[in-house]
Amino acid sequence: MEYFIHIGIVFFIYAILAVSLNLVVGYTGLLSLAHAAFFGIGAYATAILLTKYNINFFVSAGVGMGLAGMASLFIGIVLSKFKDDYYALASLGFNVIVCSFFINLDSITGGVIGIPGIKKPSFFGLEIHSNFAYLILALVFFVIIFLVSRFIVQSSFGRALRAIRDDENALAVFGYKVLNFKLVIFVISAMMAAIAGSLFASYITYIDPSIFTITESVFILTIIILGGLSSLRGSLLGALFLILLPEYLRILGLPNDTAAQVRQIIYGLALIFLMLYRPKGLVGEYEMK
Amino acid sequence: MNILKLKKIRKHFNGVLALDNLSLDIKAEGITGIVGPNGSGKTTLINILSGCESLDGGTIIIDDSLRSKKMRAYENSIFGITRTFQEIRLFEQMTVLDNVLVVLTEKNVLGAIFEKHGEYHLMKAEELLKVVNLWEKRNELAINLSYGQRKLLEITRALSTDAKIYLFDEPFAGLFPEMIKTVMKIIKKLKEEGKTVILVEHNMLLMRELCDEIVVMDNGKLLSKGKPEEVLNKKKVLDVYLGK
Amino acid sequence: MDMLTQIIFNSLIAGAIYALVALGFNLIYGATKFFNFAHGSIAIAGGYATFYFNKILGVDVYLSVLLGILCAGFLGYISNKLVFSPLRKKKSSHMIFMVASLGILIVIQAVISLIFTSEFQTLSSSLASSKKYIFLTGIITKTQLILFLSVLLIMGLLVLVLKKTMLGKTISAISDSEEIARNIGINSNRVISYVFVIGSAIAGVAGIFVGFDTGISPTMGMSLLLKGVIASIIGGVGNVYGGVLAAFMLGLIENFGVWNFSGEWKDAISFAVLILFLLFRPQGMFGKK
Repeated sequence: MEYFIHIGIVFFIYAILAVSLNLVVGYTGLLSLAHAAFFGIGAYATAILLTKYNINFFVSAGVGMGLAGMASLFIGIVLSKFKDDYYALASLGFNVIVCSFFINLDSITGGVIGIPGIKKPSFFGLEIHSNFAYLILALVFFVIIFLVSRFIVQSSFGRALRAIRDDENALAVFGYKVLNFKLVIFVISAMMAAIAGSLFASYITYIDPSIFTITESVFILTIIILGGLSSLRGSLLGALFLILLPEYLRILGLPNDTAAQVRQIIYGLALIFLMLYRPKGLVGEYEMK
Repeated sequence: MNILKLKKIRKHFNGVLALDNLSLDIKAEGITGIVGPNGSGKTTLINILSGCESLDGGTIIIDDSLRSKKMRAYENSIFGITRTFQEIRLFEQMTVLDNVLVVLTEKNVLGAIFEKHGEYHLMKAEELLKVVNLWEKRNELAINLSYGQRKLLEITRALSTDAKIYLFDEPFAGLFPEMIKTVMKIIKKLKEEGKTVILVEHNMLLMRELCDEIVVMDNGKLLSKGKPEEVLNKKKVLDVYLGK
Repeated sequence: MDMLTQIIFNSLIAGAIYALVALGFNLIYGATKFFNFAHGSIAIAGGYATFYFNKILGVDVYLSVLLGILCAGFLGYISNKLVFSPLRKKKSSHMIFMVASLGILIVIQAVISLIFTSEFQTLSSSLASSKKYIFLTGIITKTQLILFLSVLLIMGLLVLVLKKTMLGKTISAISDSEEIARNIGINSNRVISYVFVIGSAIAGVAGIFVGFDTGISPTMGMSLLLKGVIASIIGGVGNVYGGVLAAFMLGLIENFGVWNFSGEWKDAISFAVLILFLLFRPQGMFGKK
């Protein structure tokens, strides 16, 4: 049972990451490879505030969101100058830069070693001890984020995002300040990723910079491409599939290190085959241009 | 009354002048046709008027207010300008209905997130799409429509704005006769409603029938301007067209 | 020993490696117009192949180097044959090419880790690297000297091939416009296949030299690629000479930057330089506006 609870928690965290990245990549057409950076900012904010300053989890998550919001606003403004492959490349660059901060600001981030012993959240003095309670917490966050995302994509704002994706210059002709829309969704998405980071840090209780590298960004991208761009349902499907994958491999009885590599090979092959035979993913509603 | 006053506007691309000190007044509440050989600067003019290209020099006065040299495309709505494109530019992976709704709904971020007039916009979209027989196709993706339907959808999208000036870049090109009639009806109706229409088109028969005034351009300059029957029979205009 | 001279030497060595990656990247980008993320991992694969032949099978060092280069070229060939060529037939967008190449990167990286573990491997003792020359006031090893000279040689050869041979002319015709090239009867698929082989083989040389110089690990491909990409963008994408010059500049900037900051900032510095370049001089250092 504990095992399924664990899977559930990890699933909710990655579902948050996938849904939020899909808002930017699938709905707005901005191929961002910086998502792990915002995930990391949330995780580090929570880890630092919880362990060093003994600050409440929810406050720390709020601070994480705030920091991710500010970072993403700055990064989003710079990225707004780029298109397509240059956008992807520059966003990847920002992921690397943010990661170097995690590594190099070692007095607060613990450097390469990271931060161990992160506490579980407490709720009005009630510490969340059991994994089941944590599952509920993750579920609540996930549901809120999913509903907010759904509200966004179904609103006129969401429609404008899709129009930006299809032809932003044509949309501007009809009175849209496209930049504002791109920035707002980028910041919202980053703040959601930060929440996933906060949940992750306090659940796993140990973080280090290697978790938030571009490989992680590519992994989240794989989830949403597999599930399907421009489909929230697809992101959940993709997350479920790729979170369960290592568990299947465990059943095969591969040693841990081998399993990790085999998993990577499968992710990579999945990307290649999707691009070759089903660029829309499982249930996607948008094909990359 | 002249709604558009262009004074010595200039635009060049890599040293080639696309608009060469063009001065031109365009009457309000009428249909003005712009003709000229390929490369004479017609589309550049449309792009500049709609803020899709920046201006190198000269002034543009729209409805008595001076337009800044660096007008951005999104300021179109301030000046009441809308347009279609010579090469169709729809929101390809969105439905027909969404292509129209996106132009009808709120344009600022907060307004768009918390849309208040969804029902009203939907009614309006239905009304507009029925004119071009696309309401039945409202849930199809724009990319899956036929060429003519795409052209009609683009015109409908332009009509969804509340503009005073309509810039149509070759709206009839590649259309079947039935569809040409529909577009003509739309353009005539705009005139009746007191809107200004500027039309770039190669089909001279249509231009004669529709336009109140014809502007002939050549090499980024104004060659001739006047009533269709006068202008289109002038020798120098014929020369330009026959390539002399 | 003088610090300054040493830094300049280190920069030249780093620059030479980046130049090789940039050369191959530029060649492939010119002909295909997409960001090939697999390029760096193919370079590293070349290094590992040499390691395998030399250290595990005990093949002669020079022969191993040659086999390593051939392996890299072969990887380039099959990645084009199995993935990029079919995508080209389907007229897929550049973004789809890019995501597929991300997939290839992940697969190659994981396969290498699976075979050789994620440990750091070095080729150095294979080539009398113990021999050091005191030059001016810095130290340069024999390996480094050979590396530096080989880069010059390869560059010279490549320029010769591009300028003087029929193949070179068809490559530049395709780089200008694939459509026109095809219309005048160039078999663009075959030429692009050559381009992948040559570009990847050159990258393989870089990977092998990294193996000799500092040692290689499976995940180095990404950062190696990024250095190459950054160099080619700063030099002006498609501009072979510009890319090489920029690679050496990047080496200098990095090594001087590291002198002032710490080693871990290296990647962040090169990305910051890249983003600044993209913002203010997107046409590269030598390109015309």
